[in-house]
Amino acid sequence: MLINLLVVNPFLDNLLKVLSLVGLMTISAMSLIYLERKIAARFHMRLGPTRTGPAGLLQSVADALKLLGKEDIRPKSADPWSFELAPYFVFIPAFMMLVTVPFTLLLNVQMFTLGLLYLIAISSVSIVGWVMAGWGSDNRYALIGALRAAAQGISYELPLVLAVLCIAMLSQSLNLNVIIESQSTLPNILFQPFPLFLFFTAALAEMNRSPFDIPVGESEVVGGPFVEYSGIRWSMFFLAEYTTLLVMSILIVALFLGGWAWPFGENLGTFWQIMLTLLKTSFVIFIIFWTRVSIPRMRIDQLMNFCWKVLIPLAFLQIFFNGFILVLELPKILLSISSIGLLALLVVIVNKSIQNLNKEIVS
Amino acid sequence: MKGILRSMGVTFSAFLRKPVTRPYPDIHKKLPETGRAFPILLWDQSHTEPYCTGCHACERACPVECMSVIMKDNPNHINNGGTSKRKKIIDKFWIDYARCMRCNICVEACNFEAIAMNNTWSGHETSVYDRKDLIMDLPQLLAQHRSGNIDEWVTS
Repeated sequence: MLINLLVVNPFLDNLLKVLSLVGLMTISAMSLIYLERKIAARFHMRLGPTRTGPAGLLQSVADALKLLGKEDIRPKSADPWSFELAPYFVFIPAFMMLVTVPFTLLLNVQMFTLGLLYLIAISSVSIVGWVMAGWGSDNRYALIGALRAAAQGISYELPLVLAVLCIAMLSQSLNLNVIIESQSTLPNILFQPFPLFLFFTAALAEMNRSPFDIPVGESEVVGGPFVEYSGIRWSMFFLAEYTTLLVMSILIVALFLGGWAWPFGENLGTFWQIMLTLLKTSFVIFIIFWTRVSIPRMRIDQLMNFCWKVLIPLAFLQIFFNGFILVLELPKILLSISSIGLLALLVVIVNKSIQNLNKEIVS
Repeated sequence: MKGILRSMGVTFSAFLRKPVTRPYPDIHKKLPETGRAFPILLWDQSHTEPYCTGCHACERACPVECMSVIMKDNPNHINNGGTSKRKKIIDKFWIDYARCMRCNICVEACNFEAIAMNNTWSGHETSVYDRKDLIMDLPQLLAQHRSGNIDEWVTS
């Protein structure tokens, strides 16, 4: 009867979907925070949270309750409109990104034909929120952090889009489900390892995660745009951050690791498709946590140089090679060869620049 | 580039190792034998009285003056029909644990080996709500050794 009601009433159906998305967002953010603390602790050979609940499982719940109970303070000199609205500008895009994320073949909120375009467009809106937060706080650290976030976000948007473009060329579609279905025998990582690196790096920069956490670096700008925030508004920023982490990881899985399709094909049951997506996503998230604890923060000029002088030219080269190979219908193995070649070129360029830097320091 | 991969390897090997920390109030680290917490008085089991004769040696030696000692005639002395050879015995003894700096000088000064530094966790975990509760009297100072709840080397 419930199903009938849902089919008859599209509003109720959509309401239910939105509510379940909000639930998914909150629960995933809370569990990701717990997991990040636990995993980072193991990387530091510590224990992480242990006191709240069994093995510290309730730590995130306790933190959430604490944040809800805190006073929502606005500095006297802050601009009321932009200060109060900024968290929504960060939070709502993150929420909207979840709409078209491919969990399984059938179980999605809405599968757009131009899903990739939509995701890329929505993900860059949050920069507006960051700048609003920094500008509205009337705090120098916040403003510096916000402008750094804007510079970094806009710069790294380009490699992200170019990496996505490579995949779109390969599968001739912007629909995420079509892209995943095209990988049911061989995942894209085999053909496009360099765009995977591009996408991973750019996604880390987009999410302001280490080693690209310059805008929120505690030791430099004491937390960046949200210095002045507290309580529920501050937690909205973090909810958005961890939702973006989840969405980006699922995207990496969908674009490069074959989503729910590879290696078992499309005829798998919905439950197993969810399990496969979850497994791959947790693997990607683990790697993101791993890079966070391994690599120190980059300097802002190194960050910009790396993006504009290395990543973007090489990305254009990859697109050129892809177009060449696909139009002339050359064998697909050439795609892998060109991509691995570009990856090697990247390593050579970075090593060379480090050597030059060392020479400058010595002389 | 090679450095990045190596650093990833280092962190991953750390990930596979056992954590070096422990959930402290649940699991206690084994204390080193020479570690010292606050001083306690020792109990002579054979005569059922403290070793301490109240000679004030420790009180005079104490650099932070955290001790107060009062002595009395021993009712258990042989002349009074008892078993002990101690003519004088401790009557009242206070140590202010809030003041004590665990310097071990009282133990060095004692002629009767009647005082020792506690080497168990109960000597370290002495948090109270009121500072006055840290002034320990004679029964409290004797209690731990009297019940035998102490590591061996303290008494030697």
